[in-house]
Amino acid sequence: MSEEERPVRVAPRIEAENFAAPRLEPENLPVPVTPPVIRSGLGPLLGGAAVLVGGLVALDLVTTIAGLFDRSPWLGWIGTAVGLAGAALIVRGLGRELRGLASLATVDRLRTALAGNDAAAAKRAAREWAGRVEAGEGLDAALAAAPDATTVAALLRAGPAAELAARADALGRTAATQAFLAAAASPSAALDAGIVAWRGVRLIREVATLYGVRPGAAAMLTLVRRTALSAASVAGADLVAHTIAQGLLSHPLAQHVGGGLPAATLAARRMILLARAAAAACSPVGQAGPTGAP
Amino acid sequence: MSGIIDAVLSPIADLMPGTRRVRVAVTGLARAGKTALLASTAANLLALGAGLPALPLLSQHLGRRRMTVAIAPAGAEDLPRFDHAAHIAALAADPPRWPERTQAVSVLALDLAVERQTMLGEMLGARRIRLELLDYPGEWLLDLPLLAEDFTLWSEATLTRLERGPAAPVRDFLAFARGLPANAAADETLAASGHALYRAALARLRDEARLSLLQPGRFLMPPPGPEPPWMTFFPLPGSSPLARLLAARFDAYRDAVRRDLVEGRFAAVDRVLVLADVLAALAAGPAAFADMQAALSAASSALRYDTSFLRTIPLLDRLLPPRIGRAVFAATKADHVAARQRGNLATLMAALVRLPADAPQPASLAVAAVRATEDFVWTLEGRNVSAVRGRVLGEGRMTRSYPGEVPDHPPDAAFWAHPFLEVPVFEPMRPLPGGAIPQLGLDALLVALLGDVL
Repeated sequence: MSEEERPVRVAPRIEAENFAAPRLEPENLPVPVTPPVIRSGLGPLLGGAAVLVGGLVALDLVTTIAGLFDRSPWLGWIGTAVGLAGAALIVRGLGRELRGLASLATVDRLRTALAGNDAAAAKRAAREWAGRVEAGEGLDAALAAAPDATTVAALLRAGPAAELAARADALGRTAATQAFLAAAASPSAALDAGIVAWRGVRLIREVATLYGVRPGAAAMLTLVRRTALSAASVAGADLVAHTIAQGLLSHPLAQHVGGGLPAATLAARRMILLARAAAAACSPVGQAGPTGAP
Repeated sequence: MSGIIDAVLSPIADLMPGTRRVRVAVTGLARAGKTALLASTAANLLALGAGLPALPLLSQHLGRRRMTVAIAPAGAEDLPRFDHAAHIAALAADPPRWPERTQAVSVLALDLAVERQTMLGEMLGARRIRLELLDYPGEWLLDLPLLAEDFTLWSEATLTRLERGPAAPVRDFLAFARGLPANAAADETLAASGHALYRAALARLRDEARLSLLQPGRFLMPPPGPEPPWMTFFPLPGSSPLARLLAARFDAYRDAVRRDLVEGRFAAVDRVLVLADVLAALAAGPAAFADMQAALSAASSALRYDTSFLRTIPLLDRLLPPRIGRAVFAATKADHVAARQRGNLATLMAALVRLPADAPQPASLAVAAVRATEDFVWTLEGRNVSAVRGRVLGEGRMTRSYPGEVPDHPPDAAFWAHPFLEVPVFEPMRPLPGGAIPQLGLDALLVALLGDVL
């Protein structure tokens, strides 16, 4: 190549810009995609129906009590007492639902504090959670000495979270045996599905209670959804479930009753997986204990 | 042939029970970025294990199989652990810091559990791998070639190389060494003075001339603790009593290297990752570049490789003493040039690699383990050029950088006729939510290094 044919070289250069700039953020790297919030019309529809039914029932109750007072004062007071007792029960039920939802929000709050870099906030969160669960005693001295938030989370994972995970596994094994035997004895696949669904919901509630989350109906719906999400991230849980199920089903009685029924085996595996996923959904430190350990 | 055997026997290897230990020596010349690479590897593998898409190519390699990752418990081992938490915290801090230089051997140990791909394998549970990545001062890597050297020959070769290199840093030492009487007595004062001058010359060659092939490595990065007397030597040809004393100390030094590094550490290594800051060598000029090439070649050739037929048999492979069966060479800090030039950088790295005949076919890559810049198009002299920009460490402003064109072959005289600028130290990008560290090519590097066991 002659000198004339050579491409023109641009002289290298390094120069600073004249204005301050923020720290570079990773732009082109894949980040976890947050699903868009879908606002359906079902919420307002159900809310409107609840307002109408509740309001009309309340109005009807007030009208009825007023009518009773017109007929006789003592009849009116009895009607008032009945009405108040009913309303109190409804308020109590609503309170439980709200407490259930609040306890799930608390898990999120504790999780954020324990995942952060603020050691003091992590220690407060750790003490709060340790006070809620049975296995959380005796950690105070170690928590006070922990130098950073990572150590605080590690202490929880090694102590109460591991203990609770073991108990959740035990609950899962019990549910697995029950689901296996029920599915083996059931005459239809539809009934199998029903049994697994019922036992699964009960198992999630049991695990949630173990973790200090006492879900009502509304919180239960949220918890089921979270459990389904955490099932995908409880890495290796499916393998573990398979291993545990194989161990459980090697019992002579189980083999005699269930034989090699794939539906029954699958039901048992789902229970173990569900227990682990529910535990991960309810724990502020995520999955605890050695992964894969039955 | 080995491909066919591998295809037949891999499924059998996949069913092997127990935990497989994979030990990788992360080697490279000083300041190549070993510590940052290990910190990023730990952070991104842990993030991947938690379900974050931190290493896309590795996720693609795993397919539908899930992998869990945990820091392995230290047990009762004597090897210090790589302080991944401190290094990751330094990178994530605001303002961020680059990890401190490695001053002693340490190991990053990770426990991986990968779902098996065969139906039979699924019944055995996850495949467990203990991944151990050895980190140690880059200077020490160049002690390995010393094992095959004789003191007299090494002394002559070293003095000749010093005489041909930059004059100012070595003037005092050369004057002292060449000026010693032919039959100099084995005097401790002479040994100590020569040693101090030689050590100062090595430090100046590293810091001022950016040279890499500087031996012995422990002179530049001494191990912790008091220095033993046999460290006090310097290259001196001849057969004088002083030269014989220095030769005895050189032999003791070699024994220590063999005991501490080769038999203790490298004996169990079965794959190697060699890192080099090729861009810095291009900026430092032809002498530094040739020196880096020679240092890489010397260090790589000193490792023990084995790609024999026996190694392809999975069961037998576990019984044979460990030898290096996989080598990956990576040009680091690849984000200091634009995407268009990173291909050239990888090709240049491949052209620089010279391995012995028995060594495995190496993979060559361009990697930025911790990304610090973003690409942009800069209009210079009326032409659009691919450049990068980032915040220089300690400054709040963006700095634009177009250091020059990276050649795709070892640079010739025409290349050196134009300048290639030294890139400033940029601050690392902010980590992703979940702890993943932005990277370029680290996923490809891990696939190349560990693809056969994952």
